[in-house]
Amino acid sequence: MPTRLEPAPVMVERMVSSDPASSPSTSLESAPVIFDIRGLNVYYRDFHAVADTDLDIHQNEITALIGPSGCGKSTVLRCFNRMNDLIDGARVEGRVLYHGIDLYGPAVDAVEVRRRIGMVFQKPNPFPKSIYDNIVFGPKVAGWKGNLDDLVEESLRRAALWDEVKDKLESSALDLSGGQQQRLCIARAIATSPDVVLMDEPCSALDPIATYRIETLMRELKERYTIVVVTHNMQQAARVSDRTAFFSVDVGTQGQRTGRLVEYDSTDQVFTAPSLKETEDYITGRFG
Amino acid sequence: MTTDQRPDFHAALNSLEETTMDMADRVEKMVGMAVRSLVTSDNSLVTEVISSDDKVDELYMDIRSRWMQIMARQQPMGRDLRMMAAILELNNTLERMGDQAVNIARIARATAGLPREETILAKLVEMGDLVKPMIRTSIDCFVRRDADECLLLPAMDVPVDVLNRGMWKHVVECGHDQPLLEWATRMVLVSRALERVGDQAVDIGEQVAFLMTGDHHEFTRYTG
Repeated sequence: MPTRLEPAPVMVERMVSSDPASSPSTSLESAPVIFDIRGLNVYYRDFHAVADTDLDIHQNEITALIGPSGCGKSTVLRCFNRMNDLIDGARVEGRVLYHGIDLYGPAVDAVEVRRRIGMVFQKPNPFPKSIYDNIVFGPKVAGWKGNLDDLVEESLRRAALWDEVKDKLESSALDLSGGQQQRLCIARAIATSPDVVLMDEPCSALDPIATYRIETLMRELKERYTIVVVTHNMQQAARVSDRTAFFSVDVGTQGQRTGRLVEYDSTDQVFTAPSLKETEDYITGRFG
Repeated sequence: MTTDQRPDFHAALNSLEETTMDMADRVEKMVGMAVRSLVTSDNSLVTEVISSDDKVDELYMDIRSRWMQIMARQQPMGRDLRMMAAILELNNTLERMGDQAVNIARIARATAGLPREETILAKLVEMGDLVKPMIRTSIDCFVRRDADECLLLPAMDVPVDVLNRGMWKHVVECGHDQPLLEWATRMVLVSRALERVGDQAVDIGEQVAFLMTGDHHEFTRYTG
């Protein structure tokens, strides 16, 4: 019997520490912590992708994960909903608590995890079905018993897409523009009533106007959901996020590259006066 | 070993800082010349201060223009962002310091034919001798990124403020002589201008502290 993942917000006092990598010295209100990650190490077979990461994700905030290519930020993101389980040879060590429950515990159902913790990918990936069917697919699989029409409208409204597609719900999702497809994917992700939405470079394939729409949408969505976004675009992280985690990559003697969390703080702090030189070098373009 | 991934941006930022420091050097010289023009009644010094200020104003506009372009094109962050904020402050402050030098020089020209009171003049020269090292200290601290030495500036400003506050007593003593009183009254404005220049040097020190720490500092000032 799978463990039920009822939302059970755990109030965690913000830790005060001189270690900027583990606890933000932030001026933000101390929102409840919904992900409590300690000592996270991720391996792909022998490859050590991410080392010794401690991270708190706070409820109803947007947390941005930034860093150079290969620093492990997408790998860490995939740990939040066990997407790494789908990669052959992937191994996750350490503690990933979600509302106090160990996500990698033996009794936890990974499908239920992914229903509660939705994901939006870099490239819009609607199903080759109608707009309507894209929205209802997940809820149907999960045994949704409510009114599907209402669910479709509510999901599309929350994703700021309803007005553009309400008269063509039976049209193929593939006929939408790239920006519309991405908002459809967000609508699809929130149709299953998730608690968290993970976004892996959600705007990298979009033009600036579509990007700003998604960013506006993210700020609206955080009223209901917790958002964790991986982005290569530092200006985007600075624009939309409440907190920013900067990852870097260590290169071993054999050339092996292992990502690690360098600094985690309020976005205001990270982009104006980060605590560590390594972070400042990265955000000011002095690295490599 | 880090490599600069944004060499064009950093070159533009360095160039902006160099122009700001060029402006600072000019303003420092202008304040010195303005006080000298008061003592020597040398009209050529007055003319030189005014023409130097034209160049300072030109640099001010140039810095503003380039500053806007860098912000729009490069979106600086971290210490680059703090540098940009500090440069904008310095640009305004230095331009006003230049204006104070012009005010002093114009008063020197306007009062050249009037009788003078040597005690007041000596006090103004003393104020000039106090504020010029303040300007130099603030600029050196900026160049060296020295957040410690700039903490000396409020203490350096104390005797300037004391001299300014005491100036009215000397002016009152000139009340018996109408032309002398006219001169002395104008010298109150000179005293006030030099006192402002001292404060503005402290302002630059606060920008150095901000640049180095990321915190906005208001240095404790003499209020006695």
